[in-house]
Amino acid sequence: MLNIFAIENPENSMEWMIFLANKYAGMFWKGTGLTLFIAVLGTLLGFLVGYVIGMIQDAQISPGDHVIRRLLLKLIKFAAAVYVEIFRDTPMIVQAMIIYFGIRQAGVEITPVSAGILVTVLNTGAYMAETVRAGIGSIDQGQREGAWAMGMSPMKTMVYIVLPQAFKNIIPEMANTFLTNLKMTSVLNVIAVQELFMAAKTVGGNYYKYFESYLVIAVIYFVLCFAFNKVFNFLEKRMSGKSDYALAAEYMDND
Amino acid sequence: MSETIISVQNLNKTFGDHEVLRKIDMDIHVGEIICIVGSSGSGKSTLLRCMNRLEHQTSGKIMFYGKEVRDVQREINEYRSRVGMVFQSFNLFHNMTVLENCMLCTRKVLHLVKEEAFDRAITHLKAVGMAPYINARPSQLSGGQKQRVAIARSLCMNPEVLLFDEPTSALDPEMVGEVLNVMKKLAVTGLTMVIVTHEMAFARDVSTRTIFMDGGYVAEDAPPSQLFTNPKNSRTREFLSRYLAG
Repeated sequence: MLNIFAIENPENSMEWMIFLANKYAGMFWKGTGLTLFIAVLGTLLGFLVGYVIGMIQDAQISPGDHVIRRLLLKLIKFAAAVYVEIFRDTPMIVQAMIIYFGIRQAGVEITPVSAGILVTVLNTGAYMAETVRAGIGSIDQGQREGAWAMGMSPMKTMVYIVLPQAFKNIIPEMANTFLTNLKMTSVLNVIAVQELFMAAKTVGGNYYKYFESYLVIAVIYFVLCFAFNKVFNFLEKRMSGKSDYALAAEYMDND
Repeated sequence: MSETIISVQNLNKTFGDHEVLRKIDMDIHVGEIICIVGSSGSGKSTLLRCMNRLEHQTSGKIMFYGKEVRDVQREINEYRSRVGMVFQSFNLFHNMTVLENCMLCTRKVLHLVKEEAFDRAITHLKAVGMAPYINARPSQLSGGQKQRVAIARSLCMNPEVLLFDEPTSALDPEMVGEVLNVMKKLAVTGLTMVIVTHEMAFARDVSTRTIFMDGGYVAEDAPPSQLFTNPKNSRTREFLSRYLAG
C-alpha cells in the first residue's frame, strides 16, 4: 500500500486506474478545473438569463398601456418563448456543435471554451426561465396585491416581494441544475473543450485502456457532485431561518 | 356635506355572464365611516377591489377628487398610495419582518428617509399594540396580530381613505375583538374608512353610513340608526332579521 502511486507494471483494472490517474494527474486536474469553471460560470450566468426571461414571461400587459409599449412587450415575450422552446427541445450536444461552428463560419474567432460557456449559459437560461416562472407562480397572489394596494409598481413588487420568495422556493431546483450542468459539460468534448471527458478519452487512447480511464473520471464526477450536494443541503438548511424572535423590550410599555 | 374623496359612477362589473356589480353610484366624503354589508356574493368585496383598481370594472368610472382614475399604471400607483387597503387574508410580506413590512412602501413609494419611515412604523405599530413584535415574521404571529400589523402598515402611508375588505372574516372569534377595537380607535381619529364586514354590531355602532348590497345593487344606503331599526327595503329587512335572530 505504501507504493500505491508507484505502480510500474499495472496488472488489473484497479492498478491501471491508479497508474493512469498518477501518470496523467496533470491532465485530469486540468480537466477537473475546466469542467468546474465552465459549470460554475455557465450556471451563474444562466441563472441570470433565466431570471430575466422568467420575469419577462410573467410580465402583464395591461390594456391601458400605450400601443407601442404593448406591441414591444408582446414582441419581447414572443422572442423569449421561442428561445426557451428551441433550447429545451434540442440536445445540448447539438446546440454546442451548431453554436461553435456557426459562429466560426460567420467569421468570428471563438475559442472552444468560450463557446462551451455560451452553450451552457443559453441552455441553463432556458431551463431556469421555466423554473423561475414556476417559482413566481407559486407565490400567493395576495402578496402582490398587498404591495400593489400601497402603490408599489409591478416591477418593484417583483423585485422586493415576489422574487425573494420565489428564489427561496427554487433553491433545490437551482442546485439540481448546477449538478446537471457539472455533468453535462462532458458533451462539450465534441467541440474540443479540454474538460474531464476529453481528458479521459485522450488518456484512454494512449494505452487502449478506455474502461479504466473513464472509471477515473466517473470517480471524479461522483466526488464533485456528492460534495456539492452536501454543500447545497447545508445552505438550504441555513436559509430556512430562525424559528424564534426577540421581543423589542424598549416598546413593551404599550399605552 | 364635506368634500367628496372617491366617487363611484355607474359602475358595472361582469365575470363572464355573471353580473357582479350593477349600476353602482356612490360618493365617499371626507370623514365618513361607511360599512358595506350584505350576504356573500352580493358584490361587496368586488366593489371594494374595483375602488382600489385590483379589479377592472366592465363600465363606469371611479373618480378621485373629481378626476377620473385612468388605466395607466403610473396613475394607478399614485392613486393607490393615497387609498389604503386592508385585506381579509392580511397579505403581509412573508419575506420580511413586521418592521420591514411597515417600512418597505414608505421607503420605496413615498421615498421617505430611513429615520422617518422608522418613526412612522413605530408610531403606528404602537397604536395597534404591535410595537414589541417588530422583529417577528408574519408566520410567527396570530391572525389578529397579523391583521393589526397590516392595519399599521397601511396607516404608515398616511392614506386619505382606508378600505377594509372583510378584515375579521378570517379570524378566530376571540381575535375579532382586538381588530375591531383597533378599528374603533381609528374611527374616532377622523380617518375616512370604507369597511366591508359581516360584523353587524360594529356596523351599527361605528359607521356613519351603512350600505346594504344585494345581487350586485346598492339596495339601501342610510345612516345606521335608520337602516338597522327601520329598513326601507324588504331584502334589507330579511337579511337583518336573519342576523338578529342568529
